[in-house]
Order: sequence, then C-alpha cells, then structure tokens
Amino acid sequence: MDAVEARGLVKRFGDRRVVDGVDLSVAPGLIYGVLGPNGAGKTTTLRMLLGIIEPDGGERRLLGTAHPRDAGDRVGYLPEERGLYPAMTARDAVAFMGALRGLPRREGRARAAAMLEEAGLGHAADTKIRKLSKGMAQLVQLLGSVVHRPDLLVLDEPFSGLDPVNQEKLEALIVAERDRGATVLFSTHVMAHAERLCDRLAIIAGGRRRFEGTVDDARGLLPSRVRYTARVEGEGVRALLPPDAEAGPGGWRFDLPADGVEPVLARVMAAGHGIAGLSIERPTLHEAFVRVVGDAARDDAHLRGETAA
Amino acid sequence: MKAARALRQVFTVARRDFVATVFTPIFLLFLFAPVIMGSFGAIGGLGAAGVTEGARGRERVVAIVPDALARPFAEADLRLRGPLRRDEAPPPLATIRAGRDPAAQARAAFAAPDYDAAAVLYGPLDRPVVLHGALEGSAARWLALLADEVQADARLGAARPRVAPSFRPYGRSGASGGGQNRSAFLAVFGVFFLTLFLAGQVVGTMAEERNNKVIEVLAAAVPLEAVFLGKLIGMFGVAVLFVAFWGTVLGQATRLLPPGAEAGLAALSPAVGAPAFALLFFAYFTTAYLLLGSVFLGLGAQASTMREIQMLSLPVTAVQVGMFALASAAAGRPGSGMARFAELFPLSSPFAMAGRAANDPAIWPHLAALAWQLGWAALFVGVGARAFRRGVLQSGSPGWFRRRRAAA
Repeated sequence: MDAVEARGLVKRFGDRRVVDGVDLSVAPGLIYGVLGPNGAGKTTTLRMLLGIIEPDGGERRLLGTAHPRDAGDRVGYLPEERGLYPAMTARDAVAFMGALRGLPRREGRARAAAMLEEAGLGHAADTKIRKLSKGMAQLVQLLGSVVHRPDLLVLDEPFSGLDPVNQEKLEALIVAERDRGATVLFSTHVMAHAERLCDRLAIIAGGRRRFEGTVDDARGLLPSRVRYTARVEGEGVRALLPPDAEAGPGGWRFDLPADGVEPVLARVMAAGHGIAGLSIERPTLHEAFVRVVGDAARDDAHLRGETAA
Repeated sequence: MKAARALRQVFTVARRDFVATVFTPIFLLFLFAPVIMGSFGAIGGLGAAGVTEGARGRERVVAIVPDALARPFAEADLRLRGPLRRDEAPPPLATIRAGRDPAAQARAAFAAPDYDAAAVLYGPLDRPVVLHGALEGSAARWLALLADEVQADARLGAARPRVAPSFRPYGRSGASGGGQNRSAFLAVFGVFFLTLFLAGQVVGTMAEERNNKVIEVLAAAVPLEAVFLGKLIGMFGVAVLFVAFWGTVLGQATRLLPPGAEAGLAALSPAVGAPAFALLFFAYFTTAYLLLGSVFLGLGAQASTMREIQMLSLPVTAVQVGMFALASAAAGRPGSGMARFAELFPLSSPFAMAGRAANDPAIWPHLAALAWQLGWAALFVGVGARAFRRGVLQSGSPGWFRRRRAAA
C-alpha cells in the first residue's frame, strides 16, 4: 500500500484548471519530490492530498484512507506560507502543533525542548516567536511538523527563505525522518535539493504530471553530452563531428551518439586532429527539468491551438 | 473514537485561544472595563446630578397666604411629604404673606432673584389660583393638595377623623405578577448585556490566524468546524471568567446593601423559582453566546482586514439590540404571538426564553429550547466553517446555484 496515492486529481479556481488530472504514487519510506515551476499546481496538489481543500475531480488516498482527515494524526505538514502565533514561545509552538496532531501536551513540551536543543535552538526555547529570526521561526515550525513523529511528512517549498546553514540542517532532518521510517513528500523548484534528496520525483507543469521516476530516470530523459577539444583545430573538424556539434569556448559539444563516441573519435584521429580533451557529461536534473517543463509548455500551447507557426 | 478526537482538537484550539487572551496585560483592561465604564458613568452622573441639584435646589413651591395659614401650610407640607422618596418629592415650600394684590405678588414670585418658583398659589383656600410653569404641573397639584389639607383641618379641627395604621412586613408566599415581570426584564436585559459585552469579541478572532498564516497549519491538522468551535469555546471561557469574577464581586457587594435594598431583590419572584432561574439564566447566557458568537465568528472570518472587522461591529451590535428589543417586547406580553416568535427565532430565543423562565413555571419548554438553540449554534458553526473553506481557503466544489448556472 502506497503512503500517498492520487488518481486524476482536478482542481478548478473559477474557469481555470489549476490541477488537471494529476496522478501520484508514493511508496512508504521514500523521499519523494514534487517538482515544478511557479504556478505549476504543486501547492494545490499537496493541499488536496492533505484535505485542506477538496478536489473537483479524481481520487486520493493518504496512508490508506480515502479521507485525509482520518490520517491527520499520522501526518506532518509544513505549508509554503509559514505561520506561527507570534506570542507563543518556541517550545509552546512546537508542543501546540503536536497537540493538534494528538500528542499529549506534557509529552509535546518535553519533546519540543529536546528537539529545539538538538537543532541548536535550545537557548530560544522560551523566546517568543516574534523575537526569533525568520530562519529560526521557520525551523521551529518545521520541528512542530515532526514533533508527533508522523508516518508521512509533507513539506511545501521547505527550503525557501532559509540560509545555506539552515538548508543543510533541513536536508539532514528530512533524511533523518526517512531513516526513521517516515515517508517524506516535498515540493520544490530548486533542483539541487531534489537531486541530493529524492528517491523518486514527479515533475508537474501546467497542472499535469509530466514525469515520474528516479533522479537518474529524469537525467536519462536527455542524452549525455560529449565535450571534445581537438589537438589540431582546422576547417575539417566540423565535418567529422555529429550534425548537432556546437563550437564553444571549451571546445566542441554534442549529444552522445546512439552508437557511442568511439566512431567519432576514430574519424578525428584518422584525420589527424587528435584529442586534447574529452569528457562525457551526464545531464543534470536541472537540465532535465528545463526540458520537461519546456516541452510541457509547447504541448499545452499546441493543444490550445497557439503553436508558434 | 472520532468524537473523542474531535473533542480533543476543539479543546486544543480553545485552550490556545483562552490562554492567548487571558494571559496578556490587555485582558486586565478588559476585566476591569466595567470599573472604567462605571467610573466614567459615575463622574458623568455626579456632574449631571450636580447640575440637576443646583437647579432643583433653587426651586420652590410658593404659597401666598395670610400669616395665620403659613404655619398650617408648613405642617401639612411636612406631613404629606413624609412617604415620598427624595427624588419624587416636589420642591420645598415657601410661604409669602398675602398683601393687597396677591395676583401681582404671584406674578412677581416668578421673577424673584432668590429662588425659582415652580408654582405659586394665592387666593381663597376653597378656590385657590395656582400659577405654574409649563413643566411644573405636579408642583401646582401639590400646592392644591396642601390647600385642601389645610382647609379640611381648618374646617373640621379636632373633629377631622384620623387613621392610626399599623405597619407590618409580610412575605408573599407566591410570585407576584409585578415581581415576575421585573424578573423577566432583568433576565432579558442580563443576557443581552452580557452577550453585548462579551459575544462581539469573537468577530475578529479568525483574523489572527489569517494574518499569521496559521490557518493553513490548523486547517491541515484539524477540521475547520473544530477550529471554529474551539475558538468559540475558548472565548466563551474568557466570558465565563469575566462573569465569574464580576458575579463574585457583585455577590459580595450585595452584603453591603441596606436591608431595604435586599428586600427589593427578594421581590424578584421568577415563576420557576430562584435556583432554577439562576441555572436557566446561565444556560441561556451560554446559548446566546454560542448562537450570536457563531454568527459573528462566521461573519468575521470572511473579513480579511481590521477595517472590515471594525465595519462589522455596527451590524453586529444592531443585531444584538434588535434581538433584545424583540425579547423585551415578548417578556412584557407572555403567551402572545410575538412571545412565541421571539422564543422560536434562533437569535432571540435565549433572551425570550430567559424571560419566559420568569413568567412560566414549566421547565420542559426550557429543555426543548436549549436543544433547539444548541442545534442552531452547531448549524451556524458548520455554515461559518463552510463559508470560510469556500471563500478563504478556496476549497469545495461549486455550490448548487453555480452548478445549475454552469449547466445552463
């Protein structure tokens, strides 16, 4: 049984279909990324999965139940728009968020104190939220979303607004939650975090899922790139390389041919151009993302009859 | 299990709101607001009383009579004035010796520099003429009464029959109609005053969550109905604390009242009996708070700025005053159609039923009314949460009307 399942989720705001038939399957114990450009429908999808808003179509199951509220005490959530009561202390804020999810108050306060200490915020446990820095408050809210040790942790753009040190802390916390056995579902449009953390990911664009798989699968959407620098440059090099080869400051670049780079190398060697430099570079997740999102935009435009032609 | 979870969520939210409200310096201001209000009221009252006293202190009823009648007039004035309360009594009596032209003396009395004449009597005792100002008819009748008394004494002398009454206090065994009416009005006014003072506060409570963006966290963890009900109960806890504090203070203060005042309280005779009346009063205060509070909370939740919330305070107060007026009218005419309407209409029902407790000894209608009112409160909470979900969280499918329109 998957921790999260969604089939054909649809959400309309007015006449606009913000989410247009999204499917998701998140197996338990994974870190799963929902990637997409701004306005892709990531947040709306997560809010529908959590039952904050109701879908206009499709089905969803969260931790085995079709009613997300029934699993509420087993879920942790960090919304995109962070929110805490400014007059609460950090410890009370963490304990309160635990209490909302069924954690007894006394236990919540004890866990909150320990977690704040561990996160380096022990000195601020009794400080009111309004006196904390934005990053500290964000960390407090994150701790509040895991204080009840949820089976599923949903984080909406968790890295936004954090400095590099706190981003690293957050990455460690996400991994720790996964290692504890929790499923982590997070949205982001920063590829570096997804690349480092995600066991699997989905790319959403224009309200639809455009890709689902591992990071390697995503990178596999594009061919590897070959960077070649001739030892003896000349007019004839261009003709020996694949048609997509482009000259750049570091030499020639072209997609890795289907039959490998060896035939190309044989040709340039035979012509006496030699090899001053050669590397085969796998595409990054960022490049795969840009390609997927770009293709999605073109497809959507085509569907709307707005092709460039 | 689900009910226990829902209850736990409601009380988690309620506890947060209660603590956040009570443990702030502002709450002390709120708690002592009646003192501040009372102080300003007292200062204003003293000022107004000073002005009134100043004016009344100069007022006189004037009798222009022969020397021989001056003393009988003074004695009659003293005797008749006895049972009257100070605020009911006419202005003090002044006598002027009658001259050759008493009518001219009477007119001159209105221009006297030492006092303000409210009414002036002159002429023969059996046909006196009383001049008076436009608003001083009662002072004029007082002078006529004195003339009548003096004339009767003068004509009959010792033969005039006198009664020798014996005054004995007596405790009424049953409730008097007047006592019931007073109790009814007191109950309606009491519930109205407390809800006016306390229920309006819930209007802005959702604004905090919206401004802090906490609503997203709450909405993900807890059903919105639980958030609404929790907020309502949290603020009701604040109201109960307020009522308990002032109830204790006033309870102790009644011990300091003079015996006559205590007897005045004892004259309040609700039909259901004092203990049941007190319980029903609190029960109806609770339902009035929950009913009006749930409506105000639902309305306030739609407001996104403090300005909008402030704008809501006028209609909110108008609704409360309207319900008070309806229930007061109903309390004055128990059993009438209007009373039935006020008892059934959800927002006026607690007020009207509190009044009914004073007029009607039957208990079962109150049990039915409380269930009726709580049902409506639950409905209002549900509708408020639904409107919030649809309007603010932009959730939910289109309503029936929009679906029909889209289909068309």
